Amino acid sequence: MMLETYKRIAGIKFGLLSPHEIRKMSVVEIRTPDTYDEDGVPIPSGLMDGRLGTLEPRQRCATCGNTAAMCPGHFGHIELAVPIVHVGFVKYIYELLTITCRECGRLLIPSDKIEKLKEKMEELKKSLGEVPKRFFDSVKSEAKKRSECPYCGSPQYRIELMKPTTFYEHQREGGVIRLDAGTIRSRLERIPDDDLRLLGYDPSSARPEWAILQVLPVPPVYVRPSITLETGIRSEDDLTHKLVDIIRINERLKEAIASGAPTLIREELSDLLQYHVTTYIDNEAPGIPPSRHRSGRALKTLSQRLKGKEGRFRLNLTGKRVDFSARTVISPDPNLDINEVGVPIDIAKRLTVSEKVTVWNLEEMKKLVINGPDVYPGALYVTRPDGRKIRLDFVADRKKLAESLEPGYIVERHIRDGDIALFNRQPSLHRISIMAHRIKVLPYKTFRLHLAVCIPYNADFDGDEMNLHIPQSEEARSEARLLMQVQDQIISPRYGAPIIGSTRDFLTAAYLLTRKDTYLDKREFFTLLAAIDYDGEIPPPAIKEPEPLWTGKQVFSLLLPEDFNYFGRATVCKHKHTSPDEECPLEGVVVVRNGQLVKGVIDKNSIGAERAETLYHRIVRDYGTGFAATFLNKLCRLLNTFITMRGFSFSLDELNLPEKAKESIAQILREAEERVQKLIEEYNRGTLRRIPGRTLEESLELLIMNELSKARERCDEVASTSLTMSNQGIIMVRCGARGSELNIGHMTACLGQQSVRGRRVVCGYLDRALPHFKWGDQSPKARGFIESSFYKGLSPIEFFFHSMAGREGLVDTAVRTQQSGYMQRRLIHALEYLRVEYDGTVRTTDGEVVQLRYGEDGVDPSKSDHGKAVNLQRLLERMSLKGCETPPTPEELDELLEKYRLRLTPYYISELRRLIIDKRLSLEDARKLIEATVVEFENSQVDPGEAVGVVTAQSIGEPGTQMTLRVFHFAGVRERDVTLGLPRLIEIVDARKKPSTPIMTVKLDEEHRFDRDKALAVAQSLVHTAIRDIAAKGEYEIDLDNGVVRVKIDRVAMKNRGVTDEDLERLTLPNTTIEFTGDEIVVKPKSAMDLPGLKKLVDKTMKLHVKGVPGIKRVQVVEEGGEWIIQVDGSNFSKVIQVPGVDPTRTMTNNLYEIYETLGIEAARNAIIKEAKEVFEGIGGGLDLDIRHLMLVADIMTLTGRIRQVGRHGVTGEKSSPLARAAFEITVSNIVDAAVKGIMDELKGVTENIIAGQDMKVGTGMVDIYMTPSSSRER
Amino acid sequence: MGSSQKIRFDIFKHELVPKHSILSKDEVEDLLRRYHVKKYQLAKIMARDPAAVAIGAKPGDVLRIVRRSPTAGLAVFYRFVVEG
Repeated sequence: MMLETYKRIAGIKFGLLSPHEIRKMSVVEIRTPDTYDEDGVPIPSGLMDGRLGTLEPRQRCATCGNTAAMCPGHFGHIELAVPIVHVGFVKYIYELLTITCRECGRLLIPSDKIEKLKEKMEELKKSLGEVPKRFFDSVKSEAKKRSECPYCGSPQYRIELMKPTTFYEHQREGGVIRLDAGTIRSRLERIPDDDLRLLGYDPSSARPEWAILQVLPVPPVYVRPSITLETGIRSEDDLTHKLVDIIRINERLKEAIASGAPTLIREELSDLLQYHVTTYIDNEAPGIPPSRHRSGRALKTLSQRLKGKEGRFRLNLTGKRVDFSARTVISPDPNLDINEVGVPIDIAKRLTVSEKVTVWNLEEMKKLVINGPDVYPGALYVTRPDGRKIRLDFVADRKKLAESLEPGYIVERHIRDGDIALFNRQPSLHRISIMAHRIKVLPYKTFRLHLAVCIPYNADFDGDEMNLHIPQSEEARSEARLLMQVQDQIISPRYGAPIIGSTRDFLTAAYLLTRKDTYLDKREFFTLLAAIDYDGEIPPPAIKEPEPLWTGKQVFSLLLPEDFNYFGRATVCKHKHTSPDEECPLEGVVVVRNGQLVKGVIDKNSIGAERAETLYHRIVRDYGTGFAATFLNKLCRLLNTFITMRGFSFSLDELNLPEKAKESIAQILREAEERVQKLIEEYNRGTLRRIPGRTLEESLELLIMNELSKARERCDEVASTSLTMSNQGIIMVRCGARGSELNIGHMTACLGQQSVRGRRVVCGYLDRALPHFKWGDQSPKARGFIESSFYKGLSPIEFFFHSMAGREGLVDTAVRTQQSGYMQRRLIHALEYLRVEYDGTVRTTDGEVVQLRYGEDGVDPSKSDHGKAVNLQRLLERMSLKGCETPPTPEELDELLEKYRLRLTPYYISELRRLIIDKRLSLEDARKLIEATVVEFENSQVDPGEAVGVVTAQSIGEPGTQMTLRVFHFAGVRERDVTLGLPRLIEIVDARKKPSTPIMTVKLDEEHRFDRDKALAVAQSLVHTAIRDIAAKGEYEIDLDNGVVRVKIDRVAMKNRGVTDEDLERLTLPNTTIEFTGDEIVVKPKSAMDLPGLKKLVDKTMKLHVKGVPGIKRVQVVEEGGEWIIQVDGSNFSKVIQVPGVDPTRTMTNNLYEIYETLGIEAARNAIIKEAKEVFEGIGGGLDLDIRHLMLVADIMTLTGRIRQVGRHGVTGEKSSPLARAAFEITVSNIVDAAVKGIMDELKGVTENIIAGQDMKVGTGMVDIYMTPSSSRER
Repeated sequence: MGSSQKIRFDIFKHELVPKHSILSKDEVEDLLRRYHVKKYQLAKIMARDPAAVAIGAKPGDVLRIVRRSPTAGLAVFYRFVVEG
């Protein structure tokens, strides 16, 4: 056997190449601007010189003698006639020129200060592990202060940088001199190494003068291959074109210098050379026109090759192409196992697995080899023990080869049933987008999969395609089998409940099967038993006479374990039943006793996917994923057989409501219309009541919308009450299989208001939506209210409105996927380098501690029971512990619990105590319960190595696509406008200084909390009031005669805002005197002013703060939880908490920065968690998300003591690895920066190792031998 | 931040602010040994952070923070005080 050894790249060092090094590594100096001669032979010392490597398949490299496949390529070089500035480093050159002496090159800081700074630097390095950028910045600004060198005393001139590469020096005498690259170079040469270190530069790997090019390296031909078109014309790479330009000018310049040409010509040529070298490096450098191809297309030069989505980093380094993969259309197959994937035979014949020949499989392997590549169970290659690989396509006599097989050979055989494969559908938003399946080779051309796994993949069958990968090593196969199989992914890591379960028709079938009136005759019953391969005792029929009949519940019970007990509610019933003894006409109370479904129907709440605490969830938790997978398989097969047998369809007639219902819907709509008309009239008359904090127009609009949406809801209600469970559509809706009451309403009753941008349709023509209406028509119909249902059909106008709303929906989805995609990318890059260490801490790969225990209790959500490590109630039930006469005393109990304090969290200690006392458990039973709790708790702990960061990023990013983008204005009148959903989430992870809708919830102290009037008074004192707010409309006057400004005051507005005369008398404005006359404010400047001055004074007066807290726009007093609280639009936390009457300890704001500033980083962390949690809870019914994920994001955002953004200016931008930063955004700058600082990337993170093509130190990749062999220990 | 305006009330009374306390030298040693970390590998807190100011923490100190946790009930965390 070949012994495979491989080495890891320990690190990648960045730096600058010195001219010496460039010459040393060069194999040829390139001087000829041509590539090939007429015969197509490379011209010696031309750009395609054979010594640089060879492109022709059979030719050998002139340097190393290898063929194209083996030759690594060799650099050449160009000797530049004059020094040239490297564009990438201009920023650093400029910086150095301004802070070092132009004569002696020393840093412009006196030596005593330098010594102090050096000490400080050492100290910082010791205490912080590295020197922060802040320090270098301070050194630089210190040096910038001086205009004279403290060493040689020479005066320093101002340096100006003309983008991209020209430097000017402003002489003190007034002249401006252009600095040529040679001068700059010699200045940079003079800077001492020690001074550079103080600036963060690493002179050992990057002397600054090396940023001025004297020699240009020429990359090997493999970097810029020329391609031969079909027409036989050679086409050169963009880089080659650029190099040709450089050489051409360079040679001309050399000649010019040699022949002593005039300076002007030389300068012109140097400038041209500079231009070409600049565009060769970066063709998008600001300030110069990009170099173009003959066709006008801008050339793709070095920088452009690295940058962006299509650049080297993102396209080729972080995403790699693979072999052993397949892609085709998918289609469903309910007869498969959830763990299986159907693979078309044609694909099975192309994909292989390598199998070692042993004495046990020798005969079988021989057969496979004889079958060859084209007969199905065959093989594609045979590898002999000496390493020679034989392709079976080319073997004439396969029988002979088969005979020669013996143990030690390796056969690349076709994949076959039972082999493991990874199955994937893009976009891979979470880890369950890639799962391991067992292969089942099937006829036809599509991949087949079980319907239950559509949810994790988010797949349907309208033409979706999926990818299949065959793991090749034994190690990879084992990992796939043990960690990635579908059954092990049933519990979602996002919320700790099943994500794989029954859907759609399976739910309908389950409902129909387990309904009270479902009876099955002998034939039907046994058909179903056969479907689930039932092999046990036949239950006695529920009805024996006249013929034996079984209930559907009996059949369902056959799948349940015998000791299974459960109580839950079905979706069909909306009542909140709390006891298993309750009776429900709709069979909404689901009770399983000892494995028998005693009562209730099975529907989405019992076996559905994406639901927590269901019957199915209990089975997964209590009986393990293996059992759950079989349960689900059998269940689906059973339900599939049943519904095929029974039949199920939905017809158009079922959408026709009875006449009476139609009438009452028409009546509701008529009444709504009338009410709206009344509102409009009131508005026109001016008697409409204004909603506080809104204009009259807004109020009208809100009231109308409220009225109309109520009307539609009532229509829906009429429809849904007049349709019964005999309606197939209603069955599907009620049991959770498909559709909603809203959909039914739309189809049968009324479509309701169509909205564009969250309001009634207004756009279109001037003051009207369509030319069919009168100007300014506010009536429902003219603004997009649709009275028709889909059954009735839409009128052309209604249809048009519906299309408008429909289009908006489409646009919204498109925008949303983009936004959430980018957010996910940022989260992934910010969190990817986190993992759980062996000591249970969550750390970055650099060893920084982010959490002492994952999620503070170390529980892995995917091993938890909906976020909880142990379900105590359920545990108690299962252990069937009963109370006793003599419960332990509290002291005894505490003593017992004390023993487990270190093994459990404080939460469980107190929960257990409560439960034990509650249930009056004996000391012995208590001990048993605690022991069982400890076992379950420890089983639910995260595994060391778990990439918790990535899991978190996925768990937050994946539901992003499901969030509504737009701020949802509920028709409710009282709603506040708050940014919710995806935009708010993005705001939080962006760590914006100010949210787009700042809001405070102000709680009041004991005195003001219970009295509405007192609360109102506090509220009034909060509102920010300026003179503008109480000035009568337009009533101000510039009194030129007296040189004063007069502002009329509106008494009513004053009263509304609670402004007293005293408030106005107290007013002051610098350099003026203010007088309040009772109905007028007179502002008189201390010194006389002209008209423009007075006009400015008016502005100042209007803005003058009268009372309240700046930033507070609107307040509303609301009763909540038995006390009066103030809801505030606008936020100013630090000021509001100081207002008398406010309870500072419970007052909140959604402005994270204000919390950080006034309460500190820990409070900010808690606020981030709280705000993000509200986003997820606030969306239609709530998107389930484990709190641990939010904690991790908050912890990484607050790790450094300040709030960091998830993105390039925060978490990702501060990563230590330049490769990881370059792979995310701003690629080129990050690499240039790393070069100047001479950084060594130690390849610790995930991205870096993907770039290097090696396994990352996370998960199973983290496992290593932590042992020192005794031999080396002795040394 | 903090210093510019006087805060009238004890910020530790606010719902969002957990308890902070300064670790003794021995406790710091113990912590660093237990988790095999250098001080700077701990999470950080600014010296001018209102909570740090309130308990008089200086750069170089390590703070113990006892958080109320929705998952564990109570959870302990440490932050290293840095300049700024």
